[in-house]
Amino acid sequence: MKLNRSLTLLLAGAAMTLTASAASAQTNLRVFVSSQHRPDVWRKAFDMYEAKNPSVKVTIETGGNTSEAQAQYLNTIMTAKDASLDVMILDVIRPAQYAAAGWTVAFNDVIGKDADTYMKRYLPAYAEANTVDGKIVALPAFADAMFLYYRKDLLEKYGIEAPKTWDELTAAAKKVMEGEKDPNLQGLSFQGKAIEGAVCTFLLPYWSMGKQLVSNGKLNFDREAAVKSLAMWKGFVDQGVAKKNISEVATDDTRKEFQAGNVLFAVNWSYAWGQFQGADSAVKDKVGVVKLPAVKGGEPASCLGGWEWGVSAYSNNKTEAQKFVQFASSPEVSEFMAINAALLPQFGEVYTDADVTKAVPWFASARPVVETAKTRPVTPRYNEVSDIIRTTVNAVLAGTSTPEQGAEQMEGRLRRVLR
Amino acid sequence: MAVASNTSPMIRKSESASQWWTRWLDPSERTLAVLLLLPAALLLSLIIVYPVVRLVWTSFQNLSLTSGVPAKFSGLENYALMLEDPIFWEATWNTVLITLITVPGALVFGLALALMANLPFKRKWPVRLSLLIPWALPLSFAGLIFAWFFHSEYGVVNDILRRVGISGIIWFNSAGWAFAAICLTIIWKTSSFMALIILAGLQTIPRSLYEAADVDGAGRLRQFFEITLPLLKPAIVVALIFRTITALQTFDIPFTMTRGGPGTSTSTLAMYIHQNTVDFLDLGYGSALAVVMFAISMCVTTVYLRMIRTKG
Repeated sequence: MKLNRSLTLLLAGAAMTLTASAASAQTNLRVFVSSQHRPDVWRKAFDMYEAKNPSVKVTIETGGNTSEAQAQYLNTIMTAKDASLDVMILDVIRPAQYAAAGWTVAFNDVIGKDADTYMKRYLPAYAEANTVDGKIVALPAFADAMFLYYRKDLLEKYGIEAPKTWDELTAAAKKVMEGEKDPNLQGLSFQGKAIEGAVCTFLLPYWSMGKQLVSNGKLNFDREAAVKSLAMWKGFVDQGVAKKNISEVATDDTRKEFQAGNVLFAVNWSYAWGQFQGADSAVKDKVGVVKLPAVKGGEPASCLGGWEWGVSAYSNNKTEAQKFVQFASSPEVSEFMAINAALLPQFGEVYTDADVTKAVPWFASARPVVETAKTRPVTPRYNEVSDIIRTTVNAVLAGTSTPEQGAEQMEGRLRRVLR
Repeated sequence: MAVASNTSPMIRKSESASQWWTRWLDPSERTLAVLLLLPAALLLSLIIVYPVVRLVWTSFQNLSLTSGVPAKFSGLENYALMLEDPIFWEATWNTVLITLITVPGALVFGLALALMANLPFKRKWPVRLSLLIPWALPLSFAGLIFAWFFHSEYGVVNDILRRVGISGIIWFNSAGWAFAAICLTIIWKTSSFMALIILAGLQTIPRSLYEAADVDGAGRLRQFFEITLPLLKPAIVVALIFRTITALQTFDIPFTMTRGGPGTSTSTLAMYIHQNTVDFLDLGYGSALAVVMFAISMCVTTVYLRMIRTKG
């Protein structure tokens, strides 16, 4: 007993001395990475940084499986002024918000005078999303946009081309569904659950009609276009093209159901591609991906996604963290993540890089989609705007309000927020 | 007690010397009382009074972390905004409705469970244990489990319905069914708490009363209404107070089951407070909403306490 205790004491003492000496020589960076974006591959990228900078140790923290869940977690950490996180990955809609709350530090000092040229290396949408009033509030981690995935094998079987308009998609879906007579086959899967993805669901046809939601920080709501957009999605449900409980479907449900071979057309982000081509996928090598359809007479529109690296204002290692973020948002990491995790690059030239096109051939055609994808309204009160849109989309798809009522409620509530 | 009152005159005498250190060494009953109450009073003001005062103060401020401007006193503006906020009214109405449905619901089921558990079983512990399990389960777990039960495609509820020939209901796709699913879950979860308190009450009723009733020729039903129910009243009132207050604060189960959907049709006041403070970071408005909920809880508690007092 006695021997045991003194041994434990000795060991504890040794451990304390060890950690103390290690801490003086080393910077520990704690990085929050979204669990849906391959933290395993990011780990490998961070290992490269550790190899180059032996005095820095990077630990990954991850949690939540949706953008909202992660934002809730980070909001709590930040309101508590918690110093435990140094770097965090932020959905493209959030850097402006976090900067307004004073939760992130600007990169202007570390980048220096040529901040402009530094940011010009990125695709313009990302340079813009990360700059607020001349301050660089975050640096892009990777790009994203929404695409239309389709079952190549089924469309070929019925001699149908990939649809260019939503009407063509409806017709194609009906034809295939009638021919297949498979009760489990859904014509179209999209996000109807009241999640962030449902905001894009609403905006896709709305944008395609050439309308904007916000211009110059003021609400620019087109009621007629909003009704049409909501009616279009509800129409897919009523015509049996989308399943009845589409109001329960979140982003990853769409991915899973398509991957199980139960969906003909799916609206989803780029991450789905890697999963569809995985070993356990029922649709491996049967998937096509194109830009999203347009409304009749409109332009095709996609929703800009992507994630950004921000440095916490409460971090004790701000300078080291900023250096690390500069690495994590560099072209070499972008290329590494494109090849190994199929994350879309935030640099134009990486799309056509020989190694990248070899690993993910469709990236070459993805670049124009990302370049023309539209940004969701940039406002510090984005969370409220988002909530209004997604709960309305959800209510209309569930049939608890009509598209007309939905558009009216949406406008009323948006006016309260964007006064 | 007796010792304390005996020594008190002596202590009071020495206090007349009015030297602080003598008072400290031989405290009078009054100072002793203050000294003894002080830790509790300090603790309570730290964890209850301070937050409540701070909450009320914040509710009079224009304080939103996303606005980028510092907090500003705005009087009753947050309360005025509330009056014309349709979601606030919807959430409040839902909260009232959940309370009106689930409190009596849990009472009826809880009473039935307690009566069953009070039957003379050979082994009492399996019954008591199964009664305890729903109560011991965290609310959010219950919500997540029942969300799967009611899932339109993979859920066990629809599976059973289909087996008996009823086509499945898409529970979370309609405001009414989603609301029903939430209420059923809450009743399941909270009945066992009711049952535990009522069971404790049942065990205080002397057997002799029933034996006497048997001799007088009163039937089972008559015994229940004339003996059991009246004698259970105090236990039932206590259970109702606790249940009503927690029902007014309903958050976990609708949050995990529907997130307030479809649309905002099943969101509650507590969820709306959470959304405004945690998601929208509008601390001023969120605090005003919380003050309203606090006021409602206080009113209901006062009414119940009055009821007990007049009964007593």
